[in-house]
Amino acid sequence: MTKRILQFFVKKAVHLVLLLIAVATLSYTLVSYSPIDPIDAYLGPSILKISPEQREVIAQRWGLDQPPIKRFSKWAKQVAKGNLGKSTIFNEPVITVLKKRFVTSFWLMFVAWLLSGGLGFILGVLAGAFEDSTLDKSIRLYAYTMASTPTFWVGIVLLTVFSVQLGWTPVCCAWPVGSSEMEATFFQRIHHLILPAITLSLVGIAQITLHTREKTIEAMHSDYALFARAQGEKDLGIAFRHALRNVAIPAVTLQFASLGELFGGAVLAEQVFSYPGLGRATVEAGYRGDVPLLLGIVLFSATFVFIGNTVADLIYMIVDPRMRKKWSAA
Amino acid sequence: MFKKTYTGKRLLQIFVLSIFLLTITCTAFAAKDKLVLAVGGENAEGYDPLLGWGAYGNPLFQSTLLKRDSNLNIIPDLAEKWTLSKDRLTWTVKIRKGVVFSDGSPLTAKDVAFTYNKALESGGKVDISPLESATAVDDSTVTIKLKEPDITFIQHLITLGIVPAKLYGPNYGRNPIGSGPYKLVRWDEGQQLIVEANDKYYGEQPSIKTLIFLFSDEDASLAAARAGQVDVLGVPSNLARQDIPGMKLHVVKSVDNRGLMFPMVPNVGKKTPKGLAIGNNVTADIAIRKAVNYAIDREALVVGVLDGYGRPAFGVVDDLPWDNAAIRFKDNDPKKAIAILEKAGWKDTDGDGIREKNGLKAEFTVLYNSKDSLRQGLALAISDMLRPIGIQATPKGESWDRIKNDLTHSNVVVYGFGDHSPLEMYNLYHTSGPEPMYWNAGFYSNPVVDKYLDQARAAKSFEESIPYWKKAQWDGKTGFTVPGDATWAWLVNLDHTYFVNKSLDVGKSQMEPHGHGWPITTNIQEWKWISE
Repeated sequence: MTKRILQFFVKKAVHLVLLLIAVATLSYTLVSYSPIDPIDAYLGPSILKISPEQREVIAQRWGLDQPPIKRFSKWAKQVAKGNLGKSTIFNEPVITVLKKRFVTSFWLMFVAWLLSGGLGFILGVLAGAFEDSTLDKSIRLYAYTMASTPTFWVGIVLLTVFSVQLGWTPVCCAWPVGSSEMEATFFQRIHHLILPAITLSLVGIAQITLHTREKTIEAMHSDYALFARAQGEKDLGIAFRHALRNVAIPAVTLQFASLGELFGGAVLAEQVFSYPGLGRATVEAGYRGDVPLLLGIVLFSATFVFIGNTVADLIYMIVDPRMRKKWSAA
Repeated sequence: MFKKTYTGKRLLQIFVLSIFLLTITCTAFAAKDKLVLAVGGENAEGYDPLLGWGAYGNPLFQSTLLKRDSNLNIIPDLAEKWTLSKDRLTWTVKIRKGVVFSDGSPLTAKDVAFTYNKALESGGKVDISPLESATAVDDSTVTIKLKEPDITFIQHLITLGIVPAKLYGPNYGRNPIGSGPYKLVRWDEGQQLIVEANDKYYGEQPSIKTLIFLFSDEDASLAAARAGQVDVLGVPSNLARQDIPGMKLHVVKSVDNRGLMFPMVPNVGKKTPKGLAIGNNVTADIAIRKAVNYAIDREALVVGVLDGYGRPAFGVVDDLPWDNAAIRFKDNDPKKAIAILEKAGWKDTDGDGIREKNGLKAEFTVLYNSKDSLRQGLALAISDMLRPIGIQATPKGESWDRIKNDLTHSNVVVYGFGDHSPLEMYNLYHTSGPEPMYWNAGFYSNPVVDKYLDQARAAKSFEESIPYWKKAQWDGKTGFTVPGDATWAWLVNLDHTYFVNKSLDVGKSQMEPHGHGWPITTNIQEWKWISE
């Protein structure tokens, strides 16, 4: 069994390395064809005051005076040594920027992920258990509406209603204006997190709900459900005692596979709520032609999503007794 | 599994309940010794003057050798005395004694010299390339030597914040120790900047001790202001006509101008070294440029496009000390415009409403940055104003990159400029190099204007440079403004609009340069709370 696990991890690691190389090369090629001039983007309004000579000094500082291929090989060599280079817009090592920003994003994504997973699953099972009932119809209506609603729009609506009109939630930032991260209490952090997290999870809920609903319906029509019903079990009982186990596996897989979408949604949600996480940094890096940071984020998010999928695979093996048996047998 | 989900549900209930409790207990914070500003100003790479921090307003954490008062006169700050040598190459600056940085270490001439020398090689948003080198003569005297005479260098004495030589390093921007009126307490990147009065500041202590700069997006800032969480809010003028409870509108005049840049030479197939086409046959005719200038109704642009928040622009330096008042003219005069066109031989012979001359139609494209609705509004309005006089100006939105990399030297472009230094005027109108980019994109060249601009730059003192700056605009015979070569059609100067807490007195604001937001903090030391 240990040999199997080892094999699994080695295979995954090789995959990851190949994936990162491909992602890095592709992103770099795309970025190098971007029409954005990083120096113009950096200068902003100061552009009117900067002479061509000074532009050259800036280009030298960033190494932009060298041809793209040379820059890429230099960058790749650095990355191989674990150094992602220096962000041009933040004037800090990319790794430092990633660390700072991800810590903030992490809580947002984590809460949103739990909410969408948990609620989505429950709603899905309920809808599936009472197929075509009013409950099912309203859950479905909700899910379809959410699935077709852009995240940032939901964000703006929530912001307008809860922060501006009702004044229940703060309009921006990850902790109260004027206080520091350390001063902010746990509840204050949550208070600032709640609206972005709900926004981010609302759309995710729809996906999980619809998927779980399908699977539950399938299970409810199975032979073992029929058998349970024959023994006098009620619909809800069948759903939670029998169908749940079968539905859980695809749901867990989907939940971990949704990390990519979560990442994408975070970009939008953070933008709306001025929540200073990795999503906002990504937007900044893109707009302002910060190639090292953009590539750093690309590599990071690729790794993140890859790990999510790997965890899904692992959990699949652990949760499903059939897979477990296969493993031990080897 | 069932049990697990059940506990999850329970947790969720507790979670939701606690949120509701929170919203009840969470009350407004705003204590009055704190001031919350949403005026932008986040410098992602840190608050490092050598990389360009503060070039548009006061650097807040650092102090500068000189500064400008609310009437834009140059007054001393760190410097006590400053003189320019006879050959106009060397500034000798005597600095105040006893000044310390916020960490308590003394500020000496060495720090000043270090600041200037280091800024030269840092490769940031500050361009002090005229500098040869700076030297500390003794503890309180520093000499700043230039490569050639250049009075506009004084702008760097006004804007470049002095950094401590000992503490300066790659991380300085995130820990900006300086001798300015405020010091940085914490900076939550992408979120807020908290600053506190620097008790070691040599000047008068500001009356507001803590400032919080909020870096939220426009929508979020406006929402925060509506929720009563912001005391000073910068808004674009199209959002200025609204009521925000507890706030009053504060309108600041600016030289943040918008105008039409004309290609000045005919298109004969010439290209820049990078391959950009040069010249435009229609706008190369002075009659066209003058007619455009006279036909435009600038007052109507202010009312229609700027919602009244602005004033007509006739030159690039309106109302600055070096503005030549003689260049004003009566616009909204289509009769005069038509007379000029007729006299120059532009006539509508085929009856399509557009004039021609030697088979060339009086038409050109007016390019604007497609992201900028204000510039779009101007381009559209101008097109309407020029049609009655028989000129077809077609407005066209383009990406800034395409304008810059393709079109700028052969098309009319809506640009925005406006600075506190006349150097900008020099760059716009002095005969340019082969690849001028934004500077003199129209390839204007007039030897008389060049001479005045050069004389102004080489003047003995800033006061003595002013007559030359004025003559370059119009000396009675020639100049780059409308009475002369009509190089540009300047349109409007914007007003910068802010919402300010009703009980806050922000004093007299300086006329602001291009760039809305942070410049309002220039006199922040004088701000105070007034009782209601």
